[in-house]
Amino acid sequence: MSLFSKLKELKKDNIPVELLLQSPIKLQILTDDIGLDNDITDKNLYRPQLALAGYVGLFSYQRIQIFGNTEIFYLKSITKEERIKTFKNITQFPIPCIILTNNHRLEPELLNICKEFNIAVMTTEFDTTKAFTLLSEFLDDQFAAQLVVHGSFVDVYGVGILFVGRSGIGKSEIALDLIERGHRLVADDVVMLSKKRETILMGTGTSLVQHFMEIRGLGIIDIRQMFGIRSIRFQKRLEIVVELEDWDDSQHYTRTGLDEEPLKLMDVEISHVRLPIFPGKNITVIAEVIAINYLLRTYGYDASKVFSEKLNEKIMKRTPGKKSFQEQRMITYFQGDNE
Amino acid sequence: MEVFERDVEVKNRAGLHTRPAAGLVKLAAKFKSEIFLVRDGFMINGKSIIGVMTLAAEQGCQLTLRAEGPDAEAAVNELVGYFDSGFGEL
Repeated sequence: MSLFSKLKELKKDNIPVELLLQSPIKLQILTDDIGLDNDITDKNLYRPQLALAGYVGLFSYQRIQIFGNTEIFYLKSITKEERIKTFKNITQFPIPCIILTNNHRLEPELLNICKEFNIAVMTTEFDTTKAFTLLSEFLDDQFAAQLVVHGSFVDVYGVGILFVGRSGIGKSEIALDLIERGHRLVADDVVMLSKKRETILMGTGTSLVQHFMEIRGLGIIDIRQMFGIRSIRFQKRLEIVVELEDWDDSQHYTRTGLDEEPLKLMDVEISHVRLPIFPGKNITVIAEVIAINYLLRTYGYDASKVFSEKLNEKIMKRTPGKKSFQEQRMITYFQGDNE
Repeated sequence: MEVFERDVEVKNRAGLHTRPAAGLVKLAAKFKSEIFLVRDGFMINGKSIIGVMTLAAEQGCQLTLRAEGPDAEAAVNELVGYFDSGFGEL
Protein backbone atom coordinates (compact mmCIF):
# COMPACT_ATOMS: atom_id res chain seq x y z
CA MET A 1 0.00 0.00 0.00
CA SER A 2 1.25 3.44 -0.92
CA LEU A 3 0.98 4.88 2.57
CA PHE A 4 3.41 2.41 4.07
CA SER A 5 5.53 1.34 1.13
CA LYS A 6 8.00 4.19 1.43
CA LEU A 7 8.49 3.85 5.15
CA LYS A 8 11.78 2.36 6.17
CA GLU A 9 12.19 -0.01 9.03
CA LEU A 10 14.50 1.10 11.80
CA LYS A 11 16.74 -1.44 13.42
CA LYS A 12 19.32 -1.13 16.15
CA ASP A 13 22.68 -2.71 15.41
CA ASN A 14 23.84 -2.56 18.98
CA ILE A 15 22.81 -1.59 22.48
CA PRO A 16 25.07 -0.62 25.38
CA VAL A 17 25.54 -3.06 28.25
CA GLU A 18 24.17 -0.38 30.57
CA LEU A 19 20.69 -0.84 29.05
CA LEU A 20 20.56 -4.35 30.53
CA LEU A 21 20.10 -2.72 33.94
CA GLN A 22 16.57 -1.87 32.79
CA SER A 23 15.77 -5.50 32.00
CA PRO A 24 13.38 -7.35 34.32
CA ILE A 25 16.06 -9.65 35.80
CA LYS A 26 17.23 -6.95 38.25
CA LEU A 27 20.94 -7.05 37.58
CA GLN A 28 23.49 -6.04 40.15
CA ILE A 29 26.86 -4.82 38.88
CA LEU A 30 29.98 -6.42 40.36
CA THR A 31 32.61 -4.53 38.37
CA ASP A 32 31.74 -0.90 39.24
CA ASP A 33 31.29 1.08 36.03
CA ILE A 34 33.68 -1.00 33.95
CA GLY A 35 32.51 -2.02 30.48
CA LEU A 36 29.04 -0.51 30.81
CA ASP A 37 29.36 1.19 27.43
CA ASN A 38 30.41 -2.02 25.65
CA ASP A 39 28.25 -2.73 22.63
CA ILE A 40 26.00 -5.77 22.51
CA THR A 41 25.57 -6.70 18.84
CA ASP A 42 23.81 -10.04 19.17
CA LYS A 43 20.41 -10.65 20.74
CA ASN A 44 21.19 -14.27 21.51
CA LEU A 45 22.71 -15.50 24.76
CA TYR A 46 25.60 -17.92 25.22
CA ARG A 47 26.65 -20.41 27.89
CA PRO A 48 30.44 -20.69 27.60
CA GLN A 49 30.82 -24.19 29.03
CA LEU A 50 33.27 -25.52 26.45
CA ALA A 51 35.12 -22.21 26.31
CA LEU A 52 35.73 -22.51 30.06
CA ALA A 53 36.96 -26.05 29.55
CA GLY A 54 39.53 -24.68 27.13
CA TYR A 55 37.92 -25.18 23.71
CA VAL A 56 37.38 -21.74 22.13
CA GLY A 57 36.56 -22.87 18.59
CA LEU A 58 33.04 -21.66 17.68
CA PHE A 59 33.04 -19.55 20.86
CA SER A 60 30.26 -16.94 20.36
CA TYR A 61 32.16 -14.36 22.40
CA GLN A 62 30.17 -11.44 20.96
CA ARG A 63 27.08 -12.64 22.84
CA ILE A 64 26.18 -12.02 26.45
CA GLN A 65 27.83 -14.81 28.43
CA ILE A 66 25.55 -16.50 30.95
CA PHE A 67 27.20 -18.29 33.88
CA GLY A 68 24.73 -20.67 35.50
CA ASN A 69 25.26 -23.45 38.02
CA THR A 70 27.23 -25.57 35.53
CA GLU A 71 29.81 -22.87 34.81
CA ILE A 72 30.16 -21.75 38.43
CA PHE A 73 30.49 -25.28 39.88
CA TYR A 74 32.95 -26.20 37.15
CA LEU A 75 35.08 -23.19 38.10
CA LYS A 76 34.86 -24.23 41.74
CA SER A 77 36.01 -27.74 40.87
CA ILE A 78 39.34 -26.65 39.41
CA THR A 79 42.35 -25.09 41.13
CA LYS A 80 42.89 -21.37 41.51
CA GLU A 81 45.72 -21.38 38.96
CA GLU A 82 43.54 -23.21 36.44
CA ARG A 83 40.69 -20.74 37.05
CA ILE A 84 42.94 -17.80 36.32
CA LYS A 85 44.29 -19.51 33.24
CA THR A 86 40.72 -20.25 32.05
CA PHE A 87 39.69 -16.63 32.52
CA LYS A 88 42.76 -15.28 30.77
CA ASN A 89 41.90 -17.62 27.92
CA ILE A 90 38.32 -16.38 27.44
CA THR A 91 38.95 -12.71 28.16
CA GLN A 92 41.25 -12.42 25.17
CA PHE A 93 37.99 -12.25 23.20
CA PRO A 94 35.95 -9.01 23.21
CA ILE A 95 33.12 -10.27 25.40
CA PRO A 96 30.51 -7.52 26.04
CA CYS A 97 29.52 -8.74 29.51
CA ILE A 98 29.08 -11.72 31.81
CA ILE A 99 25.88 -12.41 33.73
CA LEU A 100 25.87 -14.73 36.73
CA THR A 101 22.55 -16.34 37.64
CA ASN A 102 21.31 -17.74 40.99
CA ASN A 103 23.01 -14.79 42.71
CA HIS A 104 26.42 -16.38 42.13
CA ARG A 105 29.63 -14.36 42.59
CA LEU A 106 33.09 -14.58 41.05
CA GLU A 107 36.31 -14.77 43.04
CA PRO A 108 38.05 -11.36 43.35
CA GLU A 109 40.99 -12.50 41.20
CA LEU A 110 38.60 -13.43 38.36
CA LEU A 111 36.70 -10.15 38.69
CA ASN A 112 40.01 -8.31 38.42
CA ILE A 113 40.82 -10.08 35.16
CA CYS A 114 37.42 -9.02 33.79
CA LYS A 115 38.03 -5.45 34.91
CA GLU A 116 41.43 -5.47 33.27
CA PHE A 117 39.87 -6.53 29.94
CA ASN A 118 36.95 -4.12 30.26
CA ILE A 119 34.23 -6.75 30.67
CA ALA A 120 31.23 -5.93 32.83
CA VAL A 121 30.15 -8.65 35.28
CA MET A 122 26.64 -8.66 36.72
CA THR A 123 24.60 -11.00 38.85
CA THR A 124 20.90 -11.77 39.15
CA GLU A 125 18.80 -13.66 41.68
CA PHE A 126 16.85 -15.43 38.94
CA ASP A 127 17.73 -19.00 38.01
CA THR A 128 19.27 -19.63 34.60
CA THR A 129 16.10 -20.74 32.78
CA LYS A 130 14.07 -17.75 33.99
CA ALA A 131 16.91 -15.32 33.36
CA PHE A 132 17.32 -16.74 29.86
CA THR A 133 13.64 -16.30 29.01
CA LEU A 134 13.29 -12.82 30.48
CA LEU A 135 16.55 -11.54 29.04
CA SER A 136 15.83 -13.04 25.61
CA GLU A 137 12.47 -11.31 25.50
CA PHE A 138 14.05 -8.02 26.59
CA LEU A 139 16.77 -8.26 23.93
CA ASP A 140 14.26 -9.33 21.31
CA ASP A 141 12.37 -6.11 21.97
CA GLN A 142 15.52 -3.97 21.99
CA PHE A 143 16.67 -5.35 18.66
CA ALA A 144 13.17 -5.49 17.13
CA ALA A 145 12.45 -3.82 13.80
CA GLN A 146 10.59 -0.56 14.24
CA LEU A 147 8.45 1.54 11.98
CA VAL A 148 7.47 5.17 12.48
CA VAL A 149 4.00 5.83 11.14
CA HIS A 150 2.09 9.08 10.72
CA GLY A 151 -1.36 8.45 12.15
CA SER A 152 -3.55 8.27 15.25
CA PHE A 153 -3.56 5.15 17.37
CA VAL A 154 -6.55 4.50 19.62
CA ASP A 155 -7.73 1.60 21.76
CA VAL A 156 -11.42 1.15 20.87
CA TYR A 157 -13.16 -1.46 23.07
CA GLY A 158 -9.76 -3.08 23.54
CA VAL A 159 -9.02 -3.24 19.80
CA GLY A 160 -5.99 -1.26 18.62
CA ILE A 161 -7.03 0.86 15.63
CA LEU A 162 -4.54 2.97 13.71
CA PHE A 163 -6.04 5.75 11.60
CA VAL A 164 -3.94 6.80 8.64
CA GLY A 165 -4.55 9.17 5.76
CA ARG A 166 -3.34 12.42 4.23
CA SER A 167 -2.53 15.42 6.42
CA GLY A 168 -5.63 17.33 7.37
CA ILE A 169 -8.11 14.53 6.64
CA GLY A 170 -9.11 14.50 10.32
CA LYS A 171 -7.24 11.66 12.01
CA SER A 172 -6.71 13.60 15.25
CA GLU A 173 -10.31 14.81 15.29
CA ILE A 174 -11.57 11.22 15.07
CA ALA A 175 -9.20 10.21 17.86
CA LEU A 176 -10.48 13.12 19.97
CA ASP A 177 -14.08 12.12 19.34
CA LEU A 178 -13.31 8.53 20.36
CA ILE A 179 -11.60 9.72 23.55
CA GLU A 180 -14.67 11.80 24.35
CA ARG A 181 -16.72 8.61 24.08
CA GLY A 182 -14.49 6.84 26.61
CA HIS A 183 -11.89 5.17 24.41
CA ARG A 184 -8.16 5.46 25.06
CA LEU A 185 -5.48 7.26 23.10
CA VAL A 186 -2.15 5.48 22.58
CA ALA A 187 -0.39 8.02 20.37
CA ASP A 188 -1.18 10.76 17.91
CA ASP A 189 0.77 11.92 14.85
CA VAL A 190 3.94 9.92 15.50
CA VAL A 191 3.28 6.24 16.21
CA MET A 192 6.18 3.85 16.74
CA LEU A 193 5.47 0.24 15.87
CA SER A 194 7.70 -2.62 17.06
CA LYS A 195 7.56 -6.23 16.05
CA LYS A 196 7.18 -8.60 18.96
CA ARG A 197 7.64 -12.39 18.77
CA GLU A 198 7.55 -12.19 14.94
CA THR A 199 3.75 -12.26 14.87
CA ILE A 200 2.41 -9.12 16.49
CA LEU A 201 3.01 -5.40 16.24
CA MET A 202 3.01 -3.23 19.33
CA GLY A 203 2.51 0.52 19.05
CA THR A 204 3.50 3.36 21.34
CA GLY A 205 4.12 7.10 21.16
CA THR A 206 7.40 8.95 21.55
CA SER A 207 8.90 10.03 24.85
CA LEU A 208 8.61 13.72 23.92
CA VAL A 209 5.09 13.80 22.56
CA GLN A 210 3.42 11.23 24.86
CA HIS A 211 -0.25 12.19 24.75
CA PHE A 212 -0.04 15.67 23.32
CA MET A 213 -2.11 16.26 20.22
CA GLU A 214 -2.45 18.96 17.62
CA ILE A 215 -5.91 20.03 16.54
CA ARG A 216 -5.97 22.27 13.48
CA GLY A 217 -7.06 25.77 14.39
CA LEU A 218 -6.72 25.07 18.09
CA GLY A 219 -3.07 24.23 18.61
CA ILE A 220 -1.51 21.72 20.96
CA ILE A 221 -3.55 20.10 23.69
CA ASP A 222 -2.67 17.50 26.34
CA ILE A 223 -5.13 14.61 26.36
CA ARG A 224 -3.85 13.15 29.64
CA GLN A 225 -4.36 16.44 31.50
CA MET A 226 -7.72 17.14 29.89
CA PHE A 227 -9.38 13.73 30.06
CA GLY A 228 -7.40 12.01 32.78
CA ILE A 229 -5.57 8.75 33.13
CA ARG A 230 -8.47 6.61 31.90
CA SER A 231 -8.27 8.27 28.48
CA ILE A 232 -4.75 7.14 27.66
CA ARG A 233 -2.52 4.12 27.53
CA PHE A 234 1.19 3.70 26.81
CA GLN A 235 1.16 0.68 24.52
CA LYS A 236 -1.29 -1.38 22.52
CA ARG A 237 -1.18 -4.20 20.06
CA LEU A 238 -2.05 -3.02 16.54
CA GLU A 239 -5.02 -4.95 15.18
CA ILE A 240 -6.69 -2.84 12.50
CA VAL A 241 -5.46 -0.14 10.14
CA VAL A 242 -8.23 2.22 9.06
CA GLU A 243 -7.21 4.18 6.02
CA LEU A 244 -9.22 7.38 5.60
CA GLU A 245 -9.64 8.51 2.02
CA ASP A 246 -11.41 11.30 0.22
CA TRP A 247 -14.41 9.85 -1.58
CA ASP A 248 -13.41 8.81 -5.07
CA ASP A 249 -16.04 7.53 -7.50
CA SER A 250 -13.52 5.53 -9.50
CA GLN A 251 -12.39 3.52 -6.46
CA HIS A 252 -14.02 0.31 -5.37
CA TYR A 253 -14.93 0.03 -1.71
CA THR A 254 -16.01 -3.27 -0.23
CA ARG A 255 -19.77 -3.67 0.08
CA THR A 256 -19.96 -7.05 1.75
CA GLY A 257 -16.80 -7.37 3.82
CA LEU A 258 -16.09 -10.77 2.25
CA ASP A 259 -13.29 -9.50 0.03
CA GLU A 260 -11.26 -7.88 2.80
CA GLU A 261 -7.55 -8.00 2.18
CA PRO A 262 -5.19 -7.80 5.12
CA LEU A 263 -2.23 -5.47 5.05
CA LYS A 264 1.37 -6.59 5.46
CA LEU A 265 3.31 -4.42 7.85
CA MET A 266 6.83 -5.61 8.67
CA ASP A 267 5.68 -9.06 7.46
CA VAL A 268 2.84 -9.15 9.97
CA GLU A 269 -0.73 -9.39 8.66
CA ILE A 270 -3.01 -6.67 9.95
CA SER A 271 -6.73 -6.19 9.16
CA HIS A 272 -7.22 -3.31 6.81
CA VAL A 273 -10.27 -1.14 6.24
CA ARG A 274 -10.39 1.55 3.57
CA LEU A 275 -12.92 4.13 4.59
CA PRO A 276 -14.07 6.83 2.19
CA ILE A 277 -15.16 9.94 4.06
CA PHE A 278 -17.65 12.62 3.13
CA PRO A 279 -19.60 15.27 4.99
CA GLY A 280 -22.22 13.89 7.32
CA LYS A 281 -20.53 10.54 7.80
CA ASN A 282 -19.91 9.76 11.44
CA ILE A 283 -16.50 8.10 11.39
CA THR A 284 -16.38 7.76 15.16
CA VAL A 285 -19.43 5.50 15.27
CA ILE A 286 -18.11 3.56 12.28
CA ALA A 287 -14.79 3.10 14.10
CA GLU A 288 -16.64 1.66 17.10
CA VAL A 289 -18.56 -0.67 14.81
CA ILE A 290 -15.32 -1.75 13.11
CA ALA A 291 -13.91 -2.63 16.54
CA ILE A 292 -17.00 -4.54 17.65
CA ASN A 293 -17.21 -6.38 14.33
CA TYR A 294 -13.53 -7.32 14.70
CA LEU A 295 -14.26 -8.68 18.18
CA LEU A 296 -17.20 -10.69 16.83
CA ARG A 297 -14.99 -12.18 14.13
CA THR A 298 -12.24 -12.93 16.64
CA TYR A 299 -14.81 -14.80 18.74
CA GLY A 300 -16.10 -16.73 15.74
CA TYR A 301 -18.98 -14.73 14.28
CA ASP A 302 -18.54 -13.20 10.84
CA ALA A 303 -21.70 -11.31 9.88
CA SER A 304 -20.87 -11.18 6.17
CA LYS A 305 -20.29 -14.94 6.04
CA VAL A 306 -23.43 -15.76 8.04
CA PHE A 307 -25.53 -13.55 5.78
CA SER A 308 -24.01 -15.07 2.68
CA GLU A 309 -24.70 -18.61 3.94
CA LYS A 310 -28.32 -17.71 4.71
CA LEU A 311 -28.71 -16.47 1.17
CA ASN A 312 -27.23 -19.66 -0.29
CA GLU A 313 -29.56 -21.78 1.80
CA LYS A 314 -32.58 -19.80 0.60
CA ILE A 315 -31.55 -20.07 -3.04
CA MET A 316 -31.18 -23.84 -2.73
CA LYS A 317 -34.67 -24.22 -1.23
CA ARG A 318 -36.43 -22.28 -3.98
CA THR A 319 -38.56 -24.15 -6.55
CA PRO A 320 -38.28 -22.60 -9.96
CA GLY A 321 -41.37 -20.81 -11.29
CA LYS A 322 -43.09 -20.55 -7.90
CA LYS A 323 -44.09 -17.06 -6.82
CA SER A 324 -42.65 -16.38 -3.41
CA PHE A 325 -43.46 -12.78 -2.61
CA GLN A 326 -45.15 -13.63 0.73
CA GLU A 327 -42.17 -15.68 1.92
CA GLN A 328 -40.01 -12.60 1.94
CA ARG A 329 -41.45 -11.25 5.17
CA MET A 330 -39.60 -12.06 8.35
CA ILE A 331 -42.82 -13.07 10.16
CA THR A 332 -45.65 -15.07 8.67
CA TYR A 333 -48.50 -12.83 9.77
CA PHE A 334 -48.92 -9.74 11.96
CA GLN A 335 -50.73 -10.47 15.21
CA GLY A 336 -51.30 -6.85 16.09
CA ASP A 337 -48.73 -4.76 17.87
CA ASN A 338 -48.23 -7.08 20.84
CA GLU A 339 -44.50 -7.15 20.61
CA MET B 1 5.80 11.54 -9.65
CA GLU B 2 8.76 13.69 -8.69
CA VAL B 3 10.90 12.75 -5.74
CA PHE B 4 13.45 15.20 -4.37
CA GLU B 5 15.87 14.82 -1.51
CA ARG B 6 18.33 17.25 0.03
CA ASP B 7 20.42 17.19 3.19
CA VAL B 8 20.04 20.19 5.45
CA GLU B 9 21.60 21.41 8.67
CA VAL B 10 20.02 23.22 11.59
CA LYS B 11 22.01 26.46 11.88
CA ASN B 12 20.42 28.59 14.56
CA ARG B 13 21.46 28.25 18.19
CA ALA B 14 18.05 27.39 19.61
CA GLY B 15 17.55 24.54 17.14
CA LEU B 16 14.28 23.50 15.54
CA HIS B 17 12.09 24.67 18.42
CA THR B 18 8.36 25.44 18.44
CA ARG B 19 8.37 28.65 16.38
CA PRO B 20 10.50 27.39 13.49
CA ALA B 21 8.66 24.07 13.60
CA ALA B 22 5.39 25.91 13.12
CA GLY B 23 6.98 27.96 10.31
CA LEU B 24 8.27 24.82 8.63
CA VAL B 25 4.91 23.06 8.76
CA LYS B 26 3.20 26.20 7.41
CA LEU B 27 5.61 26.27 4.46
CA ALA B 28 5.26 22.54 3.85
CA ALA B 29 1.47 22.72 3.89
CA LYS B 30 1.53 25.12 0.92
CA PHE B 31 2.67 22.31 -1.35
CA LYS B 32 0.70 19.43 -2.77
CA SER B 33 3.65 17.06 -2.42
CA GLU B 34 4.17 14.91 0.61
CA ILE B 35 7.05 16.26 2.69
CA PHE B 36 9.22 14.15 4.95
CA LEU B 37 12.06 14.91 7.34
CA VAL B 38 14.51 12.19 8.25
CA ARG B 39 16.87 12.06 11.21
CA ASP B 40 18.98 8.90 11.64
CA GLY B 41 16.45 6.87 9.67
CA PHE B 42 13.59 8.19 11.78
CA MET B 43 11.19 9.61 9.21
CA ILE B 44 8.33 11.95 10.07
CA ASN B 45 5.68 13.79 8.11
CA GLY B 46 6.79 17.37 7.46
CA LYS B 47 3.22 18.63 7.55
CA SER B 48 2.69 17.49 11.13
CA ILE B 49 3.89 19.95 13.77
CA ILE B 50 4.03 17.27 16.45
CA GLY B 51 6.07 15.14 14.07
CA VAL B 52 8.56 17.91 13.32
CA MET B 53 8.98 18.67 17.01
CA THR B 54 9.60 14.98 17.72
CA LEU B 55 12.91 15.34 15.89
CA ALA B 56 14.11 17.67 18.69
CA ALA B 57 16.75 18.87 16.22
CA GLU B 58 19.54 20.84 17.89
CA GLN B 59 22.07 23.23 16.35
CA GLY B 60 24.33 21.38 13.92
CA CYS B 61 21.88 18.52 13.49
CA GLN B 62 21.83 16.96 10.01
CA LEU B 63 18.44 16.17 8.51
CA THR B 64 17.27 14.93 5.15
CA LEU B 65 14.40 16.71 3.45
CA ARG B 66 12.34 14.60 1.09
CA ALA B 67 9.40 15.60 -1.06
CA GLU B 68 7.23 13.41 -3.27
CA GLY B 69 4.61 14.81 -5.60
CA PRO B 70 3.92 17.24 -8.41
CA ASP B 71 5.73 20.21 -6.85
CA ALA B 72 8.49 18.29 -5.03
CA GLU B 73 11.40 20.33 -6.36
CA ALA B 74 9.86 23.71 -5.51
CA ALA B 75 8.95 22.42 -2.05
CA VAL B 76 12.45 21.17 -1.29
CA ASN B 77 14.03 24.40 -2.56
CA GLU B 78 11.82 26.59 -0.44
CA LEU B 79 12.33 24.50 2.69
CA VAL B 80 16.10 24.35 2.15
CA GLY B 81 16.01 28.16 2.00
CA TYR B 82 14.22 28.25 5.34
CA PHE B 83 16.86 25.97 6.90
CA ASP B 84 19.69 28.01 5.35
CA SER B 85 18.31 31.22 6.85
CA GLY B 86 18.51 29.57 10.27
CA PHE B 87 14.74 30.02 10.44
CA GLY B 88 15.36 33.78 10.46
CA GLU B 89 17.25 33.53 13.75
CA LEU B 90 20.84 34.01 12.54
